[in-house]
Amino acid sequence: MTTTSQLVEFKIPDIYHTDRSHPVRWILSHAKRYWYLLLGGLAGSILNAALGGLTPVLIGQAFNLMQDDPGNIKNLGILAAYVAATQALRALSQYVRNLSFETTAQFVERNVRDELYASLIGKSMTFHSLQPIGDIMAKTTNDVREVNYFFSPGVTMVLGSVVFLFIPIVYSIQYHISLIAVPLLFIFVYFWSIRQYLMKLSPVTESVRSNFGELNIHLAESIDGIEIVKGAARETEEVANFMSNARKYRNAVVKQGDVEAVFIPMLLMAFAVALGLLHALVLFKLGLINIGAVVSYFGLLLMLDFPTFSSLHAYSRISLGVAGARRILGLMNQENNLDQNLKGATGAIIGEIEFRNVSFRYGSNSEAVLKNISFKVRPGQRVAIVGQTGSGKTTLCRLVNRTYDTSSGEVLVDGIDVRDWTLETLRQNISIIEQDIFLFSRSINKNITFGKPDASPEAVINASKSAQADEFINTFPDKYETIIGERGVTLSGGQRQRLALARAFLTDPRILILDDSTSAIDSATEDRIQKAIFAAARGRTTLIITHRLSQIRWADIILVMKKGELVDIGKHEELMQRSSVYREIFSD
Amino acid sequence: MGFFSGLNAEKYDRQYSDMALVRRIYPFIKRQWLRIVLLTLTVLILSGAGALQPIIVSKGVDKLNSQITLNAVFVIPLLVLCVGVTGWVANWAQRRLSMRAIGDIVMDLATTAYRAAIQHDLSFYDEMSSGRVVSRITSDTQEFGTMIQLLTDVLAQIVEGVILGIVLLQINVTLTLYLIAMMPMVFVSTILYRKLMRRVVRRGFRAMANVNAAVKETISGISIAKNFRQEKTIYDEFTEANNTSFKVNFQRGIVVSSVFPIMNALAGLATALMVYSGGMSVSKGIVSFGAWYLFILGLDRFLYPMMNIASFWTQIQNGFSAAERTFALIEAKSAVTQDNSDLKPTLNGKIEFERVRFAYRDNEPVLDDFNLTIQTGENLAIVGHTGAGKSSIARLVARFYEFQSGRILLDGIDIRSLNLENYRRQLGIVSQVPFLFSGTIEENIRYASTHASPDEILAIVRRIGEGEWLDALPNGLSTEVGERGSRLSTGQRQLVALIRVLVQQPAVFILDEATASIDPFTEKQIQQAINLNLARSTSILIAHRLSTVKSADRIIVLEKGKIIEEGTHLQLMKAGRSYASLYNTYFRHQSLEYVEDMGQYVDGNS
Repeated sequence: MTTTSQLVEFKIPDIYHTDRSHPVRWILSHAKRYWYLLLGGLAGSILNAALGGLTPVLIGQAFNLMQDDPGNIKNLGILAAYVAATQALRALSQYVRNLSFETTAQFVERNVRDELYASLIGKSMTFHSLQPIGDIMAKTTNDVREVNYFFSPGVTMVLGSVVFLFIPIVYSIQYHISLIAVPLLFIFVYFWSIRQYLMKLSPVTESVRSNFGELNIHLAESIDGIEIVKGAARETEEVANFMSNARKYRNAVVKQGDVEAVFIPMLLMAFAVALGLLHALVLFKLGLINIGAVVSYFGLLLMLDFPTFSSLHAYSRISLGVAGARRILGLMNQENNLDQNLKGATGAIIGEIEFRNVSFRYGSNSEAVLKNISFKVRPGQRVAIVGQTGSGKTTLCRLVNRTYDTSSGEVLVDGIDVRDWTLETLRQNISIIEQDIFLFSRSINKNITFGKPDASPEAVINASKSAQADEFINTFPDKYETIIGERGVTLSGGQRQRLALARAFLTDPRILILDDSTSAIDSATEDRIQKAIFAAARGRTTLIITHRLSQIRWADIILVMKKGELVDIGKHEELMQRSSVYREIFSD
Repeated sequence: MGFFSGLNAEKYDRQYSDMALVRRIYPFIKRQWLRIVLLTLTVLILSGAGALQPIIVSKGVDKLNSQITLNAVFVIPLLVLCVGVTGWVANWAQRRLSMRAIGDIVMDLATTAYRAAIQHDLSFYDEMSSGRVVSRITSDTQEFGTMIQLLTDVLAQIVEGVILGIVLLQINVTLTLYLIAMMPMVFVSTILYRKLMRRVVRRGFRAMANVNAAVKETISGISIAKNFRQEKTIYDEFTEANNTSFKVNFQRGIVVSSVFPIMNALAGLATALMVYSGGMSVSKGIVSFGAWYLFILGLDRFLYPMMNIASFWTQIQNGFSAAERTFALIEAKSAVTQDNSDLKPTLNGKIEFERVRFAYRDNEPVLDDFNLTIQTGENLAIVGHTGAGKSSIARLVARFYEFQSGRILLDGIDIRSLNLENYRRQLGIVSQVPFLFSGTIEENIRYASTHASPDEILAIVRRIGEGEWLDALPNGLSTEVGERGSRLSTGQRQLVALIRVLVQQPAVFILDEATASIDPFTEKQIQQAINLNLARSTSILIAHRLSTVKSADRIIVLEKGKIIEEGTHLQLMKAGRSYASLYNTYFRHQSLEYVEDMGQYVDGNS
């Protein structure tokens, strides 16, 4: 098994190595760890089928007994007891089979999820800011599940039914060698027909899935937007829309049903049973086998109904499992661009920032998001960045802490290119507060101390006071121990922002980047938010992406961005003189 | 997989009786009567074929004892083949018919549910979240369809069992009684087992949900974790949840793995008993060999269907609950009812409230003895604390809710007598959080006025900031906005919503202003768009922006559903009463004086 040599920001020391070159190999390398379970499952499958096949054999013997020696109830009783005993044993084997594969499935699911998760954490911020979280969630939940189902019921049923296919062959040899003909033929035709069936089925089930998706999206939208629909008097059109989508979905479902209706394996089974019976009767007529043999053989042929009817879903489980594995591997194998740069500069950062002819685009073929940006910020200055959506404000800030690297040009901190600092030093000295403030579902205290778990309670309260958060925290009954989030208290946007600022106060970065997008409904709250932002900016270089006129008005430098370009830079008074658009903003 | 289905269904308290539900379902099923007749036929054939196979074989076994004729050697397998092929054809027909019948029933039901949902007024949506509504229209109707499918399958198995049972009874009553005696045991053990399974499966699901929640939360906060170099911390938390989920699901696996083995063991025991008792009967000459074999073969055809029937009972309950939820949606009473349906294609826009009393469901009245006249073309701003009744006025004009007493007049005509669809076309409504549909910007702009030409739209778009906002977008008017407009910023969505109204040119413009933070450039453009709308319509503005109140013709101050002050901004500020205090609380920080004041915090004075 090969290990992957990826540049990662985080690594678990003793993780089990897996083969990530191909989905099937990867699944097997996970399963190999539990070879004893797989062995148990295999043994269970074989025993289950073998013991199951004994029933028709014993029944045949009972028939012969009653034919030849009708009064021998004692031996009949013994045969019946054998049936009971072998079936009980068989049930046990089946349980071992099921449990072995089910346990393997659970182990593998846990380990796969663990591997995926560790891999995700190790990836850079670049990766995470580009990857939609819904996509990641789909893989960690659904696709991991599919790998579980690969083993149970997938392997359980497939292995189980394949073994069943061979039992009639193995047991009928004792009666007459030629009796293996029909079951043998059945095996070939069966696999061929299953393959045909699955090939025909897969585009149809895909069509059902996508039609349902369409139906659901438009339905959900029209219900969410019911006010608009009613306001624009569009009820009739929306109903017509729905009917057309519903009809398309219904047709796809019917089509799938039509494919499923032509279930060739069932027809094959009918032929196999009839042909086998014919074969046995001919041999009986020729005096080559006895009545018990005919009865046994017929019973053995009936065992073929398990593979016929039960294994369909199992084969799709196998292919779905492989598909899920492929998607997971695709996610894990995505390359990182950034490395820790352990040989880089370390030490205290003062906080000077310079952009020299910086341009940036996300992919090599996409449009430039930043075009030839140059400016210089002295340590401790407060910079307001303004512009409409899509002007490049957020991207510009992300170049400072190396979430992304520039496509051309340099970003320098304290005169040294950010690529020449160690990643650790940069992250230690630069803090970003994003637009969507993320707080963990835990206590306020734990959230504030997230970056500095060993902070003293006084430090926490001081940080919280400077961030104008202490006041509202004390209104909660549990104060700093109040749990926030889904299972706790919901905070307003302004409150969340102030908690994030408190968090930043504690870690005391040299450079603070703040994406300020909250708004206050009342002036008292607005006062507090303003105070908190001004306090946070004191004593460090601060970049604020903001809409607040007060933050713009009083900034040391204002950067005006438009469509990726820096169209103006200067203090408020200069811009008021130069730019009519800027003057507009500050007019009544 | 009848045994495993429906273990995780949610609880639902049934209100309708079974009969009442059946009466409602009946019309939908009635439309498929031809298919149902054919379906019954095919089911009979299918069951018959299924029952015939062991009967034919058993007759063949009887022939094995005497001198078997060459005829028999060929005819018996041939008959088995015919029966098998007939069964296959019947299965084919049954599947095709049932898919179509059920597909149509579900489609009919879902469409009826949707039509009803769309017609309901907003008070309905206050009670039931949109997620639940969607679930009733799709999941519940589907669940009902699944139940009908299961019903058909189970029925087929029951018929097969009954046919066999009759034949067996005719051969030997005692043995048949042995067979039937085993049934209750299987039935009861199935039900008990399902109870155990349900508990275990539920716990498994919950543990799984916990892991997924833990993953979601930490992946959402991954930037924070990286920012503060706390990767190991969140990894450890994840590992704990992951291991717990494994433990719980392993326990589930222990139980779930035992289901079929236990059933097989029971079947094995039953077979052993049948071998013994049947053999004894044969040795005493009571039954023939063929009959003995028939009893053994018949076991399977009784045992497994019995398991399915036992599982089926809960399935029926789930299906009925699903159907009831759907009908509850369809039959919810609409509060807003019109007396008449007058078409008034061009309203001027004069609005009068006469002694209006309005309360949301069973709550305190929001407006009581409320009087207000808005002249044609007047721009009215409404301010007040939360819960003062501002939105209610707008919602009543839009006829989204029903008021309890008084009158509302449009151009002197009672609002209840108007044709709602026609009336609403003359209202332009922009809500606080603008909602866009997935599609292009142009499609969204055109939503309320389908007859507008692209040139008209473009001309209007260019009047706002010279259409500059459009240039920032990749494809201009053809830019896809994404689900609910997610690809646009809040400010851009507001602009699109306002332009939608501009193109519509309604008599009445209703604006519930957004409070979200928008960049100052877009903010100016939004103001421009609002002003253009104000110029041509009678406007009701629930104001949160300072610029809006300043430009209104008249401001009314609402408190607990009563107008306590009215006038222009300057007049009210001079009066120095409620409005002035509201200004201080809600609008002061939007003024330029405030911006200048903030300078005090710059040089560390605080």
